[in-house]
Amino acid sequence: MGGTETMMAGTAASAAPLELSLQGALNLALDEILAEDPKALVLGEDVGTLGGVFRVTSGLAGKHGAARVFDTPLAESGILGMSIGLAMAGFHPIPEVQFDGFAYPAVNQIVCQLGRMNYRSRGTLPMPVTLRVPSFGGIRAPEHHGESLEALFAHVPGLKVVSPADPQQGYTLLKAAARMPDPVIFMEPKSRYWQKGQVITESGLDDGGKSPVADGAAGARIARPGRHLTLVAWGAMVARCLQVAELAAEDGIDVEVLDLRWLKPIHADALAASVGKTRRAVVVHEAPRTSGLGAEVAQIITERCFGTLKAPVERVTGFDVPYPSGDLEDEYIPNIDRILFGIQRVLEYKRG
Amino acid sequence: MAELPFPLPDLGEGLIEATVLEWLVAEGDQVERNQPLVEVETTKSALELPSPQSGMVLKVHGAPGDVIKVGEPLVVFEVPDDTAGIVGTVPTEEAPKRRVRLSANLDED
Repeated sequence: MGGTETMMAGTAASAAPLELSLQGALNLALDEILAEDPKALVLGEDVGTLGGVFRVTSGLAGKHGAARVFDTPLAESGILGMSIGLAMAGFHPIPEVQFDGFAYPAVNQIVCQLGRMNYRSRGTLPMPVTLRVPSFGGIRAPEHHGESLEALFAHVPGLKVVSPADPQQGYTLLKAAARMPDPVIFMEPKSRYWQKGQVITESGLDDGGKSPVADGAAGARIARPGRHLTLVAWGAMVARCLQVAELAAEDGIDVEVLDLRWLKPIHADALAASVGKTRRAVVVHEAPRTSGLGAEVAQIITERCFGTLKAPVERVTGFDVPYPSGDLEDEYIPNIDRILFGIQRVLEYKRG
Repeated sequence: MAELPFPLPDLGEGLIEATVLEWLVAEGDQVERNQPLVEVETTKSALELPSPQSGMVLKVHGAPGDVIKVGEPLVVFEVPDDTAGIVGTVPTEEAPKRRVRLSANLDED
């Protein structure tokens, strides 16, 4: 990103980063996408008049018109079916299913149509659809409002899956996803919606049409460099792993935090580079353990780093139960002590 | 601060409107969740509507005797920007607490 710094220096005032919540960063990204791409549409339950239950689409219908930002009936299969049809007709739909657990009624559309229409049509019907899914737990919500579906979607050929960890990632990754010719499942960590951070926007950069912000959307990201162990996480767990890394530093353990970002395809080279250096890895996710994405991450690390790994890759995850009610949420989501225990198990491991 | 409208919900099985009888809150009032907002009358009964959330009442629509259709604005709340949507609560950022401490002999590296 050296070029970014140069250009920011060149455009002074307009290049100052904005202080935005993740909600605000996503709202800004959608606003800019709608402005620059006349084929882009935003649709879903309550995204129009209300502005979204998390305010992510607030003001967009008024600004871009009710024909481009509109409410749908409460029918997720219909939202996805309509998006697929719109994509076949040349539009770039950005549908929302209001909560993770309500993606299930649309799974047939997602798996059987969205993921494979390009393949089925020999490339004549690409699906430039970005499906926004408020995801993961952490807000004391009732059933169907705290699920982690990344492994389900990552398993479907033809889909890309991505999850931002902070406002800058939200802005950058959503703009990148919306420009892709492929269907992208965009998993927004709803417990992070209100957290603020600095965001460098594309409009703040006089880049002559080549956006360093978009270039910064590829692959994984080192959220914190470290020497002794790599924590691999995505979505809301990145912030928690950064807290854990601070605590580990108090004990003299220098933890690297790798924000995986893209969950399909997984950036294997970034995993290999990080763990090749630290030689120890713990992967953290909210989803249930069995067949969770942590298993895939652990296997990629094992494949690439087997010769130098100091210990088996540890997983700190949710449990193999339906996502619990709010009162039990803190017991289910990997907490700081469980992650520290995972790190300690790796540190203590002895061969033979 | 953000404005959050509360439209008149369907109060029965397919009722299309209700008549305002008496406001139990005034513009500017701070209300709690489930606090009665207004007494309305439908073709079936008179009833008090509880507030769907806490917040400041920015605007009330309809004087006593006025008919309001289901889906039309009834109350506009003013709520802090970090208020949650229709479900859940906004997580608070707390300083991390720990019980587990790490120990390792990194010299073997």
